[in-house]
Formats: sequence, structure tokens, C-alpha cells
Amino acid sequence: MRLAIVIHITGTLTRLFSPALLAPAGVAALYQEWRDVGVFLSTFVLAAIVGTVMRRAGGPAAGDVDRLRRVEGLAVVAVAWLLMAHVAAVPYMWAGVGFIDALFEAMSGLTTTGATILTDFTAFGRGVFFWRSLTQWLGGVGVIALFVAVLPRLAIGGRELFFAEAAGPTDEKLAPQLRQTAIALWRLYAALTAIETMALAAAGMSLFDAVCHAMTTMAAGGFSPHPLSIAGYDSALIDWIITGFMFVAGANFALQYRAVRGGRMALVQDEEFRAYAGVVTLATAALALLLLRDGMPFFDAVRHGAFQVLTIITTTGYASDDFQLWSPQAKMVLLLLMFVGGCAGSAAGGPKVVRHVLMARFTIRELKRTLHPRAVLPVKLGGRVVPEHTLRDVQVFMLFYLLTFSVGAAVIVFLGADLMTGITASIACLGNIGPGFDTVGPMANFAHLHPVSKIVLTLEMWIGRLEVLTVLVLFRLEAWRAARWDPA
Amino acid sequence: MRAVVVGGGEIGFALSQALSERHEVFVVDHEPSVADRFEPLDVQFVLGAATSREVLARAGVEGADVLVACTGLDEVNIVCCAVARQLGSPQTTCFVSREDFLTPGGDARGLAAFGIDRVIWPEAQLAQEIERIVRAPGALDAESFADGAIRLVEYRLDAGSPLAGRRIADLHLPHSSLIVAVRRGDVFFIPRGTSELAAGDKAVAMGTPEALRHLRHLVTGVADADRQRVTIIGGGDVGLQLAERLEGDDTLDVIVIERDPDRGEMIAARLRRALVLSGDGTDLELLETEDVGRSDVLVGVIDNDERNLLASLLARQLGVRRIITRVSKRANLRLFERVGIDVAISARGAAVASVLHQIQGGSARLLAVIEQGAGRILELDVPHAYQSRELRHLAAPMNSIVGAIVRQSRAFVPRGNDRVEPGDRLIVFTTHEAADKVRDYFTHVKA
Repeated sequence: MRLAIVIHITGTLTRLFSPALLAPAGVAALYQEWRDVGVFLSTFVLAAIVGTVMRRAGGPAAGDVDRLRRVEGLAVVAVAWLLMAHVAAVPYMWAGVGFIDALFEAMSGLTTTGATILTDFTAFGRGVFFWRSLTQWLGGVGVIALFVAVLPRLAIGGRELFFAEAAGPTDEKLAPQLRQTAIALWRLYAALTAIETMALAAAGMSLFDAVCHAMTTMAAGGFSPHPLSIAGYDSALIDWIITGFMFVAGANFALQYRAVRGGRMALVQDEEFRAYAGVVTLATAALALLLLRDGMPFFDAVRHGAFQVLTIITTTGYASDDFQLWSPQAKMVLLLLMFVGGCAGSAAGGPKVVRHVLMARFTIRELKRTLHPRAVLPVKLGGRVVPEHTLRDVQVFMLFYLLTFSVGAAVIVFLGADLMTGITASIACLGNIGPGFDTVGPMANFAHLHPVSKIVLTLEMWIGRLEVLTVLVLFRLEAWRAARWDPA
Repeated sequence: MRAVVVGGGEIGFALSQALSERHEVFVVDHEPSVADRFEPLDVQFVLGAATSREVLARAGVEGADVLVACTGLDEVNIVCCAVARQLGSPQTTCFVSREDFLTPGGDARGLAAFGIDRVIWPEAQLAQEIERIVRAPGALDAESFADGAIRLVEYRLDAGSPLAGRRIADLHLPHSSLIVAVRRGDVFFIPRGTSELAAGDKAVAMGTPEALRHLRHLVTGVADADRQRVTIIGGGDVGLQLAERLEGDDTLDVIVIERDPDRGEMIAARLRRALVLSGDGTDLELLETEDVGRSDVLVGVIDNDERNLLASLLARQLGVRRIITRVSKRANLRLFERVGIDVAISARGAAVASVLHQIQGGSARLLAVIEQGAGRILELDVPHAYQSRELRHLAAPMNSIVGAIVRQSRAFVPRGNDRVEPGDRLIVFTTHEAADKVRDYFTHVKA
């Protein structure tokens, strides 16, 4: 690993990220929160300076960007996300939040988790709430994908970065060129966000809230400027609009792009999408029946059932109802969904539906192999054979995912949280979902947890968003032992 | 007539041999050693590349009536036909062995652009033929005509068969069925009512599917099983195509055994439901662990006659009831059947017969050949000038029998007092020797 190159590119990415801070400055100016305007502007300057300094320190390594090695690519993505979370945390600290909490909130934003430590929503201006939503929106499809779309130069060496950041085991390209792929992806993403904004505004939400919610829905993020989340609007229409867009955000964008381009059948043919739609339907039916049993009127049961199923499976993390008060059976449905996640190539987090599909087929294959030891049994997806190394990656991913979840849950429980809080907080952060149950439930927050727990959860969000191995490989000493500064 | 045969392999040789009896034949091949093989035949051998304009010109393509490209390479065959067409050859037939050149469904339309009139895909023909036999329970051969309204099946009469030792007239065959031919040892004949059937005979019957199902009960006395287990040994072109055709049927469980692990991966990727086993079809341990003996049908389509035979015989030992084996060398056909293979089948036999018929056939259409070409099923149009008469008064040539009459999209098995009307289509069973006479009979018939 050549540290100079890692520093150089990370610096470049940070500098590229800094203009994002100008948007909340503009919003703050619009609402005449002049103090916040200053805060965002100075953060922008700070980030730009840090980025430039790192870029310079990395030296004239520009030519080597094209020859980025795999481990360097992973390191760049992991470090860049960590660094951007620190930059994103600065405005919160300025608004009076402590460092650990601010970093938690910023990481929760960028990784589209949606877990919050904010207790008093009135203490913050509109600029800050816009910033929370914007960080999620940027993190949704991927910051690096955005940079690849904007910067032609990055596209050449950006392949490793692009796929290290992408959600799920996908290396699907929509266009022969990576840059065109990134542009197509972001264009679809932005268009969907604009449509949702208009729909929400038409349904009676204020424009500011509509923009914030649209950004956090499409990113499968879950931050809401309203302290009671979506439940605070108490509108069936808004619930259904958001339910629909959450479903879209949890499906593969590349697939949707193709479907929009005329390949309607693409949706039906895609096995992951079918499984995703199937799980959503099944879980909604189960949850609605349970809510009905517990005395909720029929239409409310369907509405809240569908909303909560999608908010959890797509790892968004809104709440249209305080599901902390639901029966244990209903909560169990949600807890199971926390381990599912959306589709690969979507804005959703979690292990992804396709990995579950592959794991199931792999298991069936091994059962079959005991009956026919000499049989050739390829695992297929969509009629095509899945390479063995992909299957192995999926198994390793699942193993480390569950391991990370267990370690996180153990730490939080040992540091004083109750069992359900610990378990759900761990999976809610690792899966980038947001709320869990009990003291981290949908109407509660994470502020009361032990500071070390918060650090662990921040790490889990980071690990979860970058799909475990990208980050964990950097914890191997071997990756660092061979590290040297010299780019030569 | 002048014919040009390009490619001196097994097919080219068989074709040249058959054609040279009556026609002027040029053979083109680039291997000098091949020339020696053709020495005994009365043909003109031209040494040179099949795709060379100059070589084809030397072979007299300009003045030829037909050109058959049957080298082992598809691309060479296609280019050869294209060049020949430019040189002015009126009729081109092209052999292919891969489906790349065909539009889905085996349609050869895309090749017409190269000036190719007819495409022959021997592997596909063979796979299709084996599929028909596999699907007809207990049968040694099976064909279907007139959109499935009329079928032909061949059965072996075991010693215990109720039909053995009886005269055909006394059998009380189901209505709409007819025994059209009998093979006894090396003799192949068309029986009369007085002919007696013997154990060990192979009987060829034609009729409606319903009637033939009854006949099957008469022959074997066994009811149809619900599910059939088909084991295919050898995952080559034929094995793969056969498996693809069979696995679509939910009542068939298909197993393919392939020796080459890479090829096994490839076919497992192509097949949806069939189970692919990696191993040698001659490995007794593998056959035993996978319970191959329980198969209803075993199809041996390994590319090597000796290993194919070994695998088939092992399967017989394990108790497989029906064994269909592909034979590459014509000389082995008889041998295979003599050592206990139920059906020995060759890709080349059917392909060569269909090319020959196309060249010599006139207006009659060859629907099928059975028993390696000894028996032929022709379809003839009765001329409109024909005087309607009863079938028994039809002075049809020896060794032929009208198996079915198709009249205005209705097909039936005729009896002696049914009439043959002008405009009818007749499905006629004939022996190889009588085929020409049958063809001529209606072409020259006067009112």
C-alpha cells in the first residue's frame, strides 16, 4: 500500500465533498439564521483547506491514480468516508453537540442510518436540519459515485472506488463507461427525489419538510426534521407516498433505470426484485394481520403495516406509528426484517436480499450434494451461473456481518443498556436502519447510551455502509506492514 | 446429374458411395490421405481447399446440379456454399454441428443469405429422434406424422409376448392400427395377413396414438409408469440437446453423466432441471452409487463407440430395461444390436438418407427412415387426374403399404375397402429397395 496515494486521493475526495456545505449555508441564509451561515461557510473553508493540504502532502502522485491497487482503493474509500463524517460533524459541534455525539450524528447521516442523538429539536436551525438530510442524500447512492459522475479524471482509476462503495455484490454497469453509469444513476436518483418532493408538497407538507423527507426517503436514510418522524404529520396520504418511494429506494437503481428505458420486463425477470417484492408483500400481510388482531382498524393496520415493513426492510428508519408499543409478535416481524435489507445497487443498507437468495440456494445445493456426491451443481441466479468466488464472498460477508453485530450488541449490553436495546441498536446501526426497540425505539434516541457504545455504533454504521470487508480488511496488520509512503 | 461432395469424412464417403451408382460425383478434400479412401469408388477426387474458388471451379461446380458441404467445420461449409453459389451451383446443402448459425428453434433462415438452400444438423436430428424414442414407452423407434395424428412405433416381441407365434390376421389388432413391417434377423419385410410373428421379431406399427397405446398393451402387457427416469451418458452436443429437450417434461427425471469436468460445468449451466454428474459413464462404482440401474431408459451418446458400448453394457448388467446407444461407425450398427443394445442409432444414417432423398426424391417427401434406412416412410400426393378407387384395387408396388391417408387435414388408417381419392396425401411405408418404384407409381399414374 502506497500511503502517499491514499492520502492524495482521500484529500481530493474531501476537497470535492466540501462544496456540499454551501447548500445548508444557503438554506440558513434563506431563513436568516446568520450564525449558522457563518458556521457552514467556515466548515467549508476548513474542509477545503484540509483536503488541499492532504492532496499536496500526497505529492505529485496524480499519474498513479490510474494504477490504484485493490487494497489502496479499499483504504481510500474507508478513510474518505471516515474523514467526510468528521467534516460533516463540525456544524453539529458548533451548534453545541459534543464530539462523540456529533460524529455519531454525522456518520448516521452519511451512512443513511438515521439513528439520532438529538433530544431537543428546537435547539437547531433549519440549516442544520437541511444538512442532516443532505448528508443522507449524498450518502444514499454513494459520494464517490457522485464524484465519478462529476469528474472525468476520477473515472479512470475510480473503478475500484466505485465498486468498493456500491451496495451489494454488484458490478453492473449501465453504460460501457463508468462515468456514464454514475451519471445515469445520479440522474435517476435526483429525478425520483424531485418527484417525491412535489408529491409530498402536494399532500400538504411544507416545502422545506418535503425536500428534507424526499432526500432522506430516496437515500433510505430516515432523518426527519419532525421530532415525531412521519407519525408527526398523521396523514394517510403522506404515509402512502413515502411507503411507495421507500419501496423504490430499496430496489436496484440500475434495474429501475433499465425498466424506465423500456425494459418493463426487466423488473419481473429479476430474481432479486421478485424476492424483494415477495418478502415485502408477505411481511406486510403478516404485520397487518397481527395489528388487526391487536385491535387496529383495517385500513390503519394495512397502512402502518406496509409503512413499517418498508421502513425496516429498506433500512430507512422512519416511523408512522410508535411501533415500540406494538405486540411482541409484530415487533418480531420487524426484528427479522432488520436482517434482510434492500436490493443490491439500491440506496438501502443491510445484508441485501440477493445475498439471502444466494445463501439459500447455496444451502440447498450442499444438501443436494450429500445425496449426489459427484453431481455438478452450479448455483444460478437469473438463469446465469454464480461464480464460486462470489458465493464464497457472500458467505464470508454473512459471517463477518453477524460477528460484527454480535460484538457490537455485547459491548452495548455490557456497558449498561438492556438486552433488547443492545441487540436492536447494534443491528439498527450495522444495517444502517436507524431506530431499534425499547430505549432506542422510533420515538426515542441514542443520546442516553454510554459514550463507548456510541463510538462502537458509529464504527458499526461505517462498517455496515461499506459492506464489512472494505473496512475490516484494514484491520489486518498485513495491510499496513507493507505500507510505505513513497509512491514509486 | 452431377453432384459435388465437399469433405471426405464418414458422411461424404457414404454420400459419394450412394450417389456414384447413378450420378457423376466430384469429391473435394484437402487431405491427400483421404484420396486413397475414395480410390475404390467411381468418383472424381479433387485435392484442395474447400473454400477456394479455384478448387471448386476445378470440381466443376458451375455445371453441377447439387453441392453438399459436409466437412467437419461449420464455417468452412458455409463459406464453401457461398462461394459455390457465386460460381453458379443451383442447389446447396450445408452441414452444421453448432446452433450458432441457426435462429432459435433450429431454423436456418439466417443462412439463406449465404446462398444455402438446405441446412442439415445431424446432431439435432439425432437428438430429436432419440427424444421421440424415449418418449414412446417401451418402443425401439418412434415417429409421428400428420401433426401427430398418425404415429409409427417399433417394438421388440419378447418370448412372453402374446403376439409371438400368431398370424397377423388372427391378432385382432386395435382399430386404426396396422403392422407395416417386421424385422427378423437380417431380413426386413412387409407382412401380409398370413405372415406369422415370432419371438425376437421387431414389429413396426402405424396408427393413431390411441390405437397404438392399446397395441402396446398387447405387445408387452405392462402399464405405463407415471414417471420415467432417463440417464444420458455423455454430455456432448447430442447429450446436451437431448437433455434440454427432455427436461422440459415434468414426468421425466433426467440425469447426464459427463467425464470432462469443464464440459460438465458448462452443461450444468445450460440445463435447468437435469442433474449433471461429473464422472465416467464406464465407472461401475459411479453407476452403482447413483442407482443408474433403476433408470427406465439409458441413452449412451459418448463420442467413442467402444466406451459407449461398454457403458451401455454395464447399464444392462445393472438392470436398465431400455438402452439406446449412438453408433458412429456404420460397421458397428449390427454388432451393437447383436450384443444386446435395444436401439443402436447413428447420426449419419438419417442425415445421409435425407440428403439422398432430397437429391433423388422427386415430388415424394421422405418423412422418416427406420432400421438404418432399410425402411422408409414416404408422403405422396395423389394427382388430381387420378381415378378414385378402393385401396384393395390399388396395384401398389411390392413391398410397400399405405399406412395412412390424409384427407383435408383428417388422417386415418385405411382398410382394404377405403377409397383413395384424388388430392389425398398417402403416407406410405416402403422398403429401401422399393422406394424408387413407389415414387414413380403415382408420378406416372394415368387416370
